Amino acid sequence: MIAENSTQSFQWTYNENDQEFALHGSLRPQKAEELSKCISALDQSVSNVSGKFYVNVRRLVRMNNVAFHAIAGKILDLVRGRSDLDVHVTTSSVVGWATRKFAVLETMSEKITVSEYDSEFYPGQSFVEDSEFIHVLRTQTKLTWKHEKDLLREHGLKPGMQVADICCGIGDFAVLLQKEFSPDRLVALDHSKSSLDYARQVAADFGIKGIDYVFGDAADMLLEDDQFDFVTCRHSLQVFDRPELILKELFRICKPGGRIYVTNEKNSHCLGEPRGESIQWTYNEVAKLWHHFDMDIEIGPKSRRLLLEGGFEDVTIGSFMVTSTDGDPQGFADIIASWKNLFAGKMASERGDDAAFVERFAKGFDDHIFAALHPKGYAGWPIWVASGRKPL
Amino acid sequence: MLQMDLDIGDFCSNWAHCDLFSAYLARMVSHNRLDSLLFSNLYSSALNELLETVFRVHGNSGKLECSVRRQGGLDRIELVFPADEDTFAVYREAIDKLSGKDAEKLYLEALFTEDEPDASLGLLELGVDYGARLAIDRAGDGRMCLVAELTLEDENE
Ligand SMILES: C[S@@+](CC[C@H](N)C(=O)[O-])C[C@H]1O[C@@H](n2cnc3c(N)ncnc32)[C@H](O)[C@@H]1O
Repeated sequence: MIAENSTQSFQWTYNENDQEFALHGSLRPQKAEELSKCISALDQSVSNVSGKFYVNVRRLVRMNNVAFHAIAGKILDLVRGRSDLDVHVTTSSVVGWATRKFAVLETMSEKITVSEYDSEFYPGQSFVEDSEFIHVLRTQTKLTWKHEKDLLREHGLKPGMQVADICCGIGDFAVLLQKEFSPDRLVALDHSKSSLDYARQVAADFGIKGIDYVFGDAADMLLEDDQFDFVTCRHSLQVFDRPELILKELFRICKPGGRIYVTNEKNSHCLGEPRGESIQWTYNEVAKLWHHFDMDIEIGPKSRRLLLEGGFEDVTIGSFMVTSTDGDPQGFADIIASWKNLFAGKMASERGDDAAFVERFAKGFDDHIFAALHPKGYAGWPIWVASGRKPL
Repeated sequence: MLQMDLDIGDFCSNWAHCDLFSAYLARMVSHNRLDSLLFSNLYSSALNELLETVFRVHGNSGKLECSVRRQGGLDRIELVFPADEDTFAVYREAIDKLSGKDAEKLYLEALFTEDEPDASLGLLELGVDYGARLAIDRAGDGRMCLVAELTLEDENE
């Protein structure tokens, strides 16, 4: 449902299974009557609910007092008029005013609770924001950059462009971009506060200026439409449970004629010799493990299809392999060691894997490390790179 | 510093101007902040409430001037607009409420009133919820000046 006039548009949806009414967009009406359809939709939704009713304003970006008065007043009426009803309001930390503003509802009634939606933002968040993992990202970027530096050019990145790196993690890729391609503007966005703190600190320590690190949700960004010549999103569609939502946003912020560039893995294709079989078994299990947590670590080769279905044209896809013979076998081994820690550690135990499984699972990582450091060995980690142009 | 001038009648010809101007100015001033997106969203919300208040409560005819500037961690918004005595009194009253001890209580009352919300609700919100410092003055030429000083980014972050 969309209510639209010249500057504002907002929508609401009701999810009956979750008893959740969600508001989305920009809500700055002149008169409360402009919200009457939305309010009656809310009334209707709540009429079949007892127990807890959820109001989700996570994706409500702007709201004036007219709208707040109408909606908050409605919520108060509900809990006061219906003894069988409690209301929970979920806000987002991405929208700075929201939690403070809605929190006053808690002071008005004990039957209203308000909380900020930040952790459990997507299924794998606790793994991805793990401090151990933050560390591994650094080594990963160091090794992938050797390949990507040239690939980025081939995919259309030029100096002086307006660039965004979405899901930037700890921001090291943005730093490399800044040094190598001197973009005219560089925005780096992530939904991990700890990663951004780290990124800002690194930039400050190295005296790197001009990178705009911003907190946000890649699936619903506060960035405006048609802004960037080149939008990158690396190793991230694969950790979010609904990659098509992020792609839609990458499309939106990209200028017509600009390109988006995504990299993704297919972990089951990691390889090594000697001990190839054990390695292969373990990485097949990695794919299943991520799948268990609603993430698709196998997206790599599917990127072409994702981009084409996302409305991009002139889509190109290729792959490269980070290997133990790139010049830094120890770096390669370090990456695998931290994968082992996370995958055969926290993730496996959270899935409830038994000791025998974990032992065999961990062994494949050890064998991969063995292959990487073996004088006659070879170990590889393949990555798919795809880019596409937003039509003019 | 950034400044916009326009006729109050033109400004008030379309409600959407509040949203458009606040979004535009917010974008212009949000460079070199700790987090430009968080900042611009907060700034636009605050400025929008000020502009909506002026939209509703102003004198007959004359110019509306909006100027914004940054002084370190402080952002100052200055609005000068036509105001007769009644208009000025509305702003005076809101500022008086804010300087009293029960500002927060008055804000909540205004926010949850059964009636149409008062035109000064936005000012109370800025004072209480945003911790803004608000001041008013007569501008001499039949206009008044409303100044809001805001600290939107937490330096400790
Ligand atoms: C595997 S890391 C990759 C980080 C970085 N691009 C790199 O290659 O080093 C995935 C990143 O995506 C971020 N992320 C996942 N979902 C997100 C979302 N919806 N909005 C913003 N960031 C998100 C996580 O916080 C994490 O930093």
